[in-house]
Amino acid sequence: MASKSFFMRNPSALIFILCLAGFTIAITVFSESVGNGLVSTSFLKTLGKTLCFCLVAIAMDLVWGYCGILSLGHFAFFGLGGYMIGMWLMYARTELIVIKASQALELPLTPQELADGIGTQIFGVVGGAKIPVVWAFADSLPIQLAFVVLVPGLLAAVFGWLAFRSRVTGVYLSILTQAMTLALALYLFQNDSGLRGNNGLSGLQNLPGLEAVAQADISLWFFWGSALALGLGYIVVKLIVESKLGNVIEGIRDDEARVRFLGYNVEAYKLFVFVLSAVIAAIAGALYYPQAGIINPAELAPIASIYLAVWVAIGGRGRIYGAVIGAAFVSLLSSWFTGGQAPDIPLGFYTVKWVDWWLVLLGASFVLVTLYAPKGIGGLFDRFSGGTKP
Amino acid sequence: MNLYLKNLCLIAFLLSVFLGSLFGIAQAQDGASPIQNLLQSHFKKLKRSSSKTIGPVIEAIRSSDQPEAKTVLEKWRAKELWYRKSDDLLVFVKTSDKKNYELIDIATGNVIASASKKQIKQIKPNSGVRALIDGALVFFRLGDEDEAVRLSALTSLNRDPKAVYLPIIQAAIAIEKVPELKAKMERMERLLSVQFEADTPKRVAAIESFSDDMGIDVRAALNPLLSSKVKVAMEVPTMLELARIIVPGESLKNDDGTAGIAQYYEWFSGRSPELNMASAYQLLLDAKLAPPDASVEDQKTALIANIKDGRVGGVDVDELNSQEARDRAYRSLVSNGLAPETISNEEKQAVIEEATFYAVYDEKNLAVIAAARKALKSINSKVSINRFFDLFLDAMSLASIYFLAAIGLAITFGVMRVINMAHGEFIMMGAYTGYVVQQLISNYTLSIIVAVPAAFAVTFAAGVVMERLVIRHLYNRPLETLLATFGISICLQQLAKNIFGTQARPLTAPDWLDGALIINEVVSISWIRVAIFVLGAIFFVGLLFVLNKTRFGLETRAVTQNPRMAASMGINIDRINMLTFGLGSGIAGIAGVAIGLFAKVTSELGSDYIVQSFMTVVVGGVGNIWGTLVGATLIGFLQKNIEFFNPSNTLAAQTYMIIFIIIFIQFRPRGIIALKGRAAEV
Amino acid sequence: MTERMLLEVQGISVSFDGFKAINNLSFNIGPAELRAIIGPNGAGKTTFMDIVTGKTRADSGEVLWGSKNVSLLKKSEHEIASLGIGRKFQRPTVFEEQSVADNLMMALRNKRGPLDVLFYKYGDDDQLRVRETAEEIGLKDQIDRRAGELSHGQKQWLEIGMLLAQDPRLLLVDEPAAGMTGQERDHTVKLLKKMAETRAVVVVEHDMEFVRNLECKVTVLHEGAILDEGSLDHVIQNQQVIDVYLGR
Repeated sequence: MASKSFFMRNPSALIFILCLAGFTIAITVFSESVGNGLVSTSFLKTLGKTLCFCLVAIAMDLVWGYCGILSLGHFAFFGLGGYMIGMWLMYARTELIVIKASQALELPLTPQELADGIGTQIFGVVGGAKIPVVWAFADSLPIQLAFVVLVPGLLAAVFGWLAFRSRVTGVYLSILTQAMTLALALYLFQNDSGLRGNNGLSGLQNLPGLEAVAQADISLWFFWGSALALGLGYIVVKLIVESKLGNVIEGIRDDEARVRFLGYNVEAYKLFVFVLSAVIAAIAGALYYPQAGIINPAELAPIASIYLAVWVAIGGRGRIYGAVIGAAFVSLLSSWFTGGQAPDIPLGFYTVKWVDWWLVLLGASFVLVTLYAPKGIGGLFDRFSGGTKP
Repeated sequence: MNLYLKNLCLIAFLLSVFLGSLFGIAQAQDGASPIQNLLQSHFKKLKRSSSKTIGPVIEAIRSSDQPEAKTVLEKWRAKELWYRKSDDLLVFVKTSDKKNYELIDIATGNVIASASKKQIKQIKPNSGVRALIDGALVFFRLGDEDEAVRLSALTSLNRDPKAVYLPIIQAAIAIEKVPELKAKMERMERLLSVQFEADTPKRVAAIESFSDDMGIDVRAALNPLLSSKVKVAMEVPTMLELARIIVPGESLKNDDGTAGIAQYYEWFSGRSPELNMASAYQLLLDAKLAPPDASVEDQKTALIANIKDGRVGGVDVDELNSQEARDRAYRSLVSNGLAPETISNEEKQAVIEEATFYAVYDEKNLAVIAAARKALKSINSKVSINRFFDLFLDAMSLASIYFLAAIGLAITFGVMRVINMAHGEFIMMGAYTGYVVQQLISNYTLSIIVAVPAAFAVTFAAGVVMERLVIRHLYNRPLETLLATFGISICLQQLAKNIFGTQARPLTAPDWLDGALIINEVVSISWIRVAIFVLGAIFFVGLLFVLNKTRFGLETRAVTQNPRMAASMGINIDRINMLTFGLGSGIAGIAGVAIGLFAKVTSELGSDYIVQSFMTVVVGGVGNIWGTLVGATLIGFLQKNIEFFNPSNTLAAQTYMIIFIIIFIQFRPRGIIALKGRAAEV
Repeated sequence: MTERMLLEVQGISVSFDGFKAINNLSFNIGPAELRAIIGPNGAGKTTFMDIVTGKTRADSGEVLWGSKNVSLLKKSEHEIASLGIGRKFQRPTVFEEQSVADNLMMALRNKRGPLDVLFYKYGDDDQLRVRETAEEIGLKDQIDRRAGELSHGQKQWLEIGMLLAQDPRLLLVDEPAAGMTGQERDHTVKLLKKMAETRAVVVVEHDMEFVRNLECKVTVLHEGAILDEGSLDHVIQNQQVIDVYLGR
């Protein structure tokens, strides 16, 4: 009953969910796995990854568009989510490989030998053979799944508590979040970080124990999973921003001091929203990296988080569908241009290669959007529909 | 023949009497010059010389008092010594067509005969022999007329000190007239005494004389005196040369051979214990003080060798998936005599604990050991003070780089409250401007002199254009300024990539900036860094002057504090904003030239510095050039200090630094030098 | 009488970079009292309010609240607000992106924790209170309009309405009359007087006419300390007060 009235109150959410469902069904029908193969598996993966980007964009919109915290470090949470699930994927698969290889040996493996075998397989590349402490629970899927939420959530909680408590706001806070993701990336770049340094985690597209299943099928599962997560994420965030909490955080965005004098603990609200948003980002990351197959510290570089802000700004912040549109539109366009599919433009004296010029175009259009269309693409919708929501 | 050489020869003669009798040199041969006779007596070894056998021969030639000895050695080394096949007469040769040769007497230098190529043969010393000859030639070169030759002889001596040089250098000191050279020779003499002096009090005195000297050669000479060998015994040793008692898995080895206890600092810098359990046990095994153990591998091999029908030692093979089961199976193999005895880890541990591990100095002279320890200790403490000073200089240098990178930002962000994410790209632009100027002007000094104003002009213009087109429209919307300037940053970076490519471009410093300012053996700083420090200082003073003492500075401060009021006083706010922004950007351009001189110029140059620059401004306190100075100093020193504790890992240093800054902001949210009161609440 | 005070400010001082904004100031107000604070620019009126509401920390002194004598000096803004001290700023600060009803709903005296707020249901009682408040401040017809679309005076009332909804025991009002038309002023005076019947209200105002209409005890601040206290007619007789106002 609650959800029915929710959709009645928020027709845009209903429209979104229907569109997402329709899109998912359509892609499924055209997929290589169950359909006629019009959508190649690699493109299916791209679409699945795009859905994850949309989800992290929603998280970003919640924290920035609604609460006014321009986080330039959300890919730290996205990446950490990916690392957490990647640890299990890599560990469990390597364990199976080592056990399989041991069957040719005369003696069964002792736990120590198994650990050594896995350690050498995973960490040989960084000159180690021991399994670092952070991998203590890597053999357990439930624990690593919990970590997907807990580790980035804890990082966000500690960072947010420190930052909000000292009343760091505005651009200061943005720079601080950027420093946070830079620190994390630099830390992970080290070989002795225990997460394979700049090699990162790889082979994540292979699910342990499911070697027999074709990538076409696995990709479709992940696509479904991503679509489901996006739908749920959309509804959860919509519920939040439509609740009284939504009013309060929008109030914080517009006039923090006033909310404080109304008796609200602004810091607690910010922390709540920041951590929630980080957790959503982490879940998006945990779904993204098995589709990407590899994760390395470069993914956490500050630039990635800034692109996230670009997507949300171009899509239109302060409206959830705007974030989704921005992320989908810009990231798909980006992979189209940089993938070399876009036709070059010969000018006679010079040929415009999109691989080289796409970023220039993106940067310029971002400046233009900021200057002339602060509400982004979503703002255009308002203009057509007459503006139901600010 | 000069005076030096004569005196040297005297010494050498005395030596040769000693050495000559040692090697049984035949002193005379009928009708030939003494040098010819000497060489003839070693002819066989000379002809087929190998570095193993030729030593005494070279020594004999060198220590003969023959005036031609030096020439002979030089010619030999240069492969210009020949012999006549008919009578083995050693000669120098001269030829114009490489077929017919004139033979020259090695003693007189006169042409004595001619021969065809087939009649004579060249003596070709291999590289090992040549090295030995070089050593011998030092003797002559130490007495050379040319000061430079003497100096280089001394240097080569230093590289390969030998006991035989000790009397030679003492003789050389006696006749040396140039004071600096004499001092160097005396130092060399002491250095040789440290290692080779037979008389203990003299040797100890030599060692003690070095207790203030931080030279690497001194430490290289002292360290071997304190070398030690690790041993093991079942009872506590009592010998006097005992260096240290070693606790396996715990104690560390100090430079002077004594034992250290792992402390916080050791843990942090990753120094590991001297002796781990495995090698301790190996020592016990070698000393036959412990029974042999079968390693996990041995055990495995034995088990595999004894598998019968899927069972080994009464245990199913499938059950051998734990160490405990394997031990059980192995024990049963042992009891059946199928595998050698072994001991368990606990027993191993007990044996190791029972034994005493210790190290004994190789040097047996206790007075020398004591003196060396004392000298090394004093040197080490002096070195660490100087290292600290060197660290200080390093930190200052890093701080000035951060200051240069951040000062432009301090103006745009601090004074105007405009956050410019493209600041890093302005630095990059400045560096590329420098590169382009160097393509046009080949003289490096001139090109740098041109590049600095050119970079300022280019980035000033870029800053003004950016302010006019973008930032002007976004005042009072700081977050959107951040985003828009970030868009510009993406654009500029990619444009630079499109124009200059992805590989690094060189920006070469002029010669006078090459090399380093060397203060002593430990402390040095490259001239480029000195130049950057000076540049930073100039900027600092210049900006303080501009902002505090000029009309422009006054108007800028007025606009910062209250734009509306400033406007009503007739200040053209647009113009001030434009100029301030241009100034900040222009400074970034100059910083780019400076940074380009020591870093690679790539399109990503700027993004490497942007976060640190923001940190510098934020930590120091916004709106204040003093703050930027303090911030840069703090961050520079902090980073260098963290690197000092863990030098192998600059990545970790940066991580820790950023974490520190995040925590620091807890306590001083507005930076070190903070504005207070109403002005801070803008 | 003192034991029944609502707010007791005892000898507080605060300085910014050497400048003493508040100098050994003491001030008391009872549970249902209307008080006006007047004084020239820089007298410390706003800083005084900042200290009471927790925005600025006092260097020394004590601020005690209510019958339990709770010290306010160590408390944060939201805690002080939750204790029942409301504040109205000089410039009207309402949430312009949100509707009048949402503004009032946020101010309603309810649980303030994030989770309480997340699962808050906008029940009938609260809807009724919001509508009553809107009627009281004359914005009944504008209840669904965006606050940003209101006129300046309406925003002032909305802000006062939010304070009413907050139901504070002490209300600090900073220059309510600024930028209001004569009619709006009268309305504001009536509102303030009515509020002061059930709670303490402290009004900081420049406008003497407005203060006169409030018909209440007046405290004159000068250089961070109290110069005089009493009825308006009494204080404007004071030579010192006249000097301060006419220039030193």
